Amino acid sequence: MAKPAIRKPKKKANPLKAAKVENIDYKDTALLRKFISDRGKIRARRVTGVSVQEQRLIATAVKNAREMALLPYSSSAR
Amino acid sequence: MRQYELMVILDPETEERTVGTTVDKFLQVVKKDGGTVDNVDIWGRRRLAYDIKKKSEGIYAVVNFTAEPATAQELDRQLNLSESIMRTKLLRPGA
Repeated sequence: MAKPAIRKPKKKANPLKAAKVENIDYKDTALLRKFISDRGKIRARRVTGVSVQEQRLIATAVKNAREMALLPYSSSAR
Repeated sequence: MRQYELMVILDPETEERTVGTTVDKFLQVVKKDGGTVDNVDIWGRRRLAYDIKKKSEGIYAVVNFTAEPATAQELDRQLNLSESIMRTKLLRPGA
């Protein structure tokens, strides 16, 4: 019996490489906004397509930016 | 000696022109203890992502300086005591 073909998920282009970002800074809200949803939640790595290490840096940067009111904790707008 | 990056949010009721001198006053402690202030960047008035102390705006300032860890701690402590400063963040860039 033929096995159902397992579909390999398509590899996403790394958005950090595309934007030529070397260090992730919590002050760069324009960049960080790409990694949060419109409700203010941090997007999963599955969605963003960055490496584990980069995702961790993004997460801490977003959290620092939230503390300084540069990004929202949650936006119930919608 | 270590490099630090400090971000402060000042009360929006303070005059925007006096922000530079206010920040400088706090940075005296760095100079006094033999550190150096490398860069002061006043962002100016900015909308907050959420209200802090019932205020929807704040005056942002970013300072890069080099100092001993104890001095940096002391600076942060003094900033937190001040009424006109709504929030601070002290970080070591690249650490």
